[in-house]
Amino acid sequence: MGSAAYCRPRGDIAILACTLGMAAFGCIMIYSASSYVAEVQYGDPFYFVEKQLVGVVFGTVAMFAAAMFPYGRLIKLKIPLAVLSVALLALVFVPGVGVTNYGATRWIGVGPVTIQPSEIAKYAFVLFAAAHFSKNYRRARSIRGVLPVLAFGIVICLLIIAEPNMSITMCVGLLMLAVVFLSGTNLKTFAAMLVPFVIAVPVLIIAEPYRLQRLSAFLDPWSSPKDEGYQLIQSLYALGNGGLFGVGIGNSTQKYRFLPFAESDFILSIMGEELGFIGLAIFFGACLFIIWRGIAIARRCGDPFGYLLAAGITLVYGIQVIINALVVGGAIPPTGLPLPLVSSGNTSLIITMASMGVLYNISRGERAVPHNAAQKAI
Amino acid sequence: MIAARYFYVQVIWGGKLVLRAADQWNRDIPVIAARGRILDRNGVQLVGNAATYSVFVRPRSVSDKNYAAAVLAGVLNADEGEILKKISASDRSEVTVARQVERDRITELAGYALDGVYFAEDNTRVYAYGDALCQVLGFTSSDGMGISGIEKMYDGVLGGQNGSILYTTDIVGNQTEDTRIVYNAARDGSDISLTVDITIQLAAEQAMKDVCVSSQAKRAACVVLDPNTFEVLAMVNYPSYDLNDVPRDDPATLNSLSRNTLVCDIYEPGSTFKVLTAAANIQEYLNGNGAAFSPTYIFNGSRTRSVDGTTVRCWSDHANGKHSNQTLADALNNSCNPCFTDIALALGTQTFYDYLSAFGLGNVTGIDFAGEALGMLVPQSLVRDCDLARIGFGQTVAVTALQLACAVAAAVNGGNYYVPSLLKGVVAEDGVKEVTPVLKNRVISGEASAMLRQMLEGVVREGSGKNAYIEGYRVGGKTGTAQKYENGGVASGKYVSSFVGFFPADAPRYLALVIVDEPQGAYYGSVVAAPAAKALFEDIIAVKNILPYE
Repeated sequence: MGSAAYCRPRGDIAILACTLGMAAFGCIMIYSASSYVAEVQYGDPFYFVEKQLVGVVFGTVAMFAAAMFPYGRLIKLKIPLAVLSVALLALVFVPGVGVTNYGATRWIGVGPVTIQPSEIAKYAFVLFAAAHFSKNYRRARSIRGVLPVLAFGIVICLLIIAEPNMSITMCVGLLMLAVVFLSGTNLKTFAAMLVPFVIAVPVLIIAEPYRLQRLSAFLDPWSSPKDEGYQLIQSLYALGNGGLFGVGIGNSTQKYRFLPFAESDFILSIMGEELGFIGLAIFFGACLFIIWRGIAIARRCGDPFGYLLAAGITLVYGIQVIINALVVGGAIPPTGLPLPLVSSGNTSLIITMASMGVLYNISRGERAVPHNAAQKAI
Repeated sequence: MIAARYFYVQVIWGGKLVLRAADQWNRDIPVIAARGRILDRNGVQLVGNAATYSVFVRPRSVSDKNYAAAVLAGVLNADEGEILKKISASDRSEVTVARQVERDRITELAGYALDGVYFAEDNTRVYAYGDALCQVLGFTSSDGMGISGIEKMYDGVLGGQNGSILYTTDIVGNQTEDTRIVYNAARDGSDISLTVDITIQLAAEQAMKDVCVSSQAKRAACVVLDPNTFEVLAMVNYPSYDLNDVPRDDPATLNSLSRNTLVCDIYEPGSTFKVLTAAANIQEYLNGNGAAFSPTYIFNGSRTRSVDGTTVRCWSDHANGKHSNQTLADALNNSCNPCFTDIALALGTQTFYDYLSAFGLGNVTGIDFAGEALGMLVPQSLVRDCDLARIGFGQTVAVTALQLACAVAAAVNGGNYYVPSLLKGVVAEDGVKEVTPVLKNRVISGEASAMLRQMLEGVVREGSGKNAYIEGYRVGGKTGTAQKYENGGVASGKYVSSFVGFFPADAPRYLALVIVDEPQGAYYGSVVAAPAAKALFEDIIAVKNILPYE
């Protein structure tokens, strides 16, 4: 496998089209889910969708810019981006800059703009790991070789868990495992890496008992219908109301302030209510399409950096979709994680769109040939 | 795996989830059914409704709670702090602030246009005669459900079916933009008419109040029947309470004042019971039973009888020729105990108990009122001669006032025992449905009944019932005085003074039993109860404009 002939110079236009389509679809769903709440809270039914449209515009610009920008040069951003992301994550804790919502400090506010640094950190980690392993390829087999990536990942995880944001920490953790695995590590190193994760889970639960409450609420949400179980119950009501074919766009009942975060982390519930199981099946099909294209791009790419970067970007997207779908469907305990490209929230939207642009650029395969030799080592 | 989970939640579990969710999506405003009115037998309204309103608040919709509390307290004349506490409840989506508020207040309140404050019609019961018939009518709970008396007995007829307005709302109860409204109309309750005649009821109320005051009795009670149908024309338990101001805060007082003692409590009747013993004897005499005494038979003049080694005494000392040479009519006039002992023993347990059973003793009358007592009658298999000897003149037996009134009514109306009733008819959409009297059984023949009426007329004309005599009218009756029992023994100085009477004596239309409980000073039925019955009869004669006989 793995010859230059597989890298189409034209690139994978479908991934850009699919990304734009998803973002546009997201705007429609956000309007449907949020117009009532926006009217009641801000006196403007377009409040959330207008913000999202701004994000779509910036995201589209960022996506095409990234699509044009030779991804090979991104390798230079390894250290600056790592430093920037850690700095931004730390900035969250600076009083006056960090923005606290729902008991967690996850945002930094600059004037009217709020940024969620953890969104940036995920990609900074992917870039860092891809750059590190592509340069020190064989060292991925030893613990020492993996250590820098691991160290950076753990720093990010600690900063995010302190916000606190369990779900994105889990995301980054899974990402770490997956990226190291893909870098061609051996089983011994991989097993050694798992140890801190196994330790982390009970420690985190003991540190913040509300996590255990959420866990029990997830097992039987109706045991605490007004507290921990509320979010999940409302999500299930929305999905149940949708049934097989849905109640139709704009006809959601749960959007009448029953379902919190209807336009952001739980937009999938409203989609399930309005579009039904069939609609969700089609949506998941589109998500799978993006993931499939991403995997194909990574596999075709002859350049280890491009390969790891493409795989990492696809992983970030895929992990988020899967966790969000599991949370909304009540299969795992509720956490605050957006559905990429669809949920309201500009940081995530712009960066995800930009990452898709990078993915497209990798698909053009401009740096594939010089690293052909290295590819054989995989 | 994800697809399977979503398929399960959305398609398989979906229906159940929607059922659960419907509870939070919909709000309903009750539409209160108008409660039926209660009328007397002539259509006079006893119980009606006044249009009033409930005020309720959705705390989350109130923008300025302090202001709202101040306005509500001012208009409703309530405590501001308490209202503020109520409307600040964060765990309730809706709280009731006040019930049964008059229309004017609501109009005033509506002028403030407070957000989150709503009104709903709730209707208040209005009792036109306050105290009158209060134990029979009963009252309703604040949300309009009958909880005692007729209000409870016929709650199903009076209450109707509440409706509702169902509409979809957002989480705090605001109507959603394209709200779906479902209107379930209320079905109003039906009016009912009672057998009670309010004019007679008021006359009886007054008579009982007067006798209670004049004799300083603990209580006085009275039931008036139409002896030809056993329809209850009046039922008085004095003291009473105002139905428009029920003492709900004092359960003990309310419990005692709201008890219809005439139906629910038993007492030892004493001499009024002799009417039944006499009736049994007359019928048996006419039947040709050799053991029965003829109307001309002269009873033994001795004061005492010895039965089973116990001695039965007359209340009179029989000295100086009193109670001598008595026929049955004389025995009734004098209320002479030993003569009725003779009758009971002569007829024997079997025959005498057959009559007692026919007269409904030891059994409920079947009146349409909850909580009727059975009375107490020694079981036939256990009764000894010494018991029978006393039952003959109304001791060792306990009855409800209604039981005795019905038994006497059957004895003097020609011998027909009906099921007594309070409900006369139901005013339904398709006209009035009248309740017809139900004949339960025959007790004695018309001939025996006529003879008995004559004797009882004599009691009032020239015997112990003289104090009930009304010039120009034919009144029959029998007095009674019984000692009260407490803790298994005779309570000294405590008596129940009673009189059962009817008129006109040749064709009775009104029968009344008056019971005065623990009169002070004079306690004989002839002195305390008979004059009260006379006063009642005179009032009935006046309001019904009954012309004198002669």
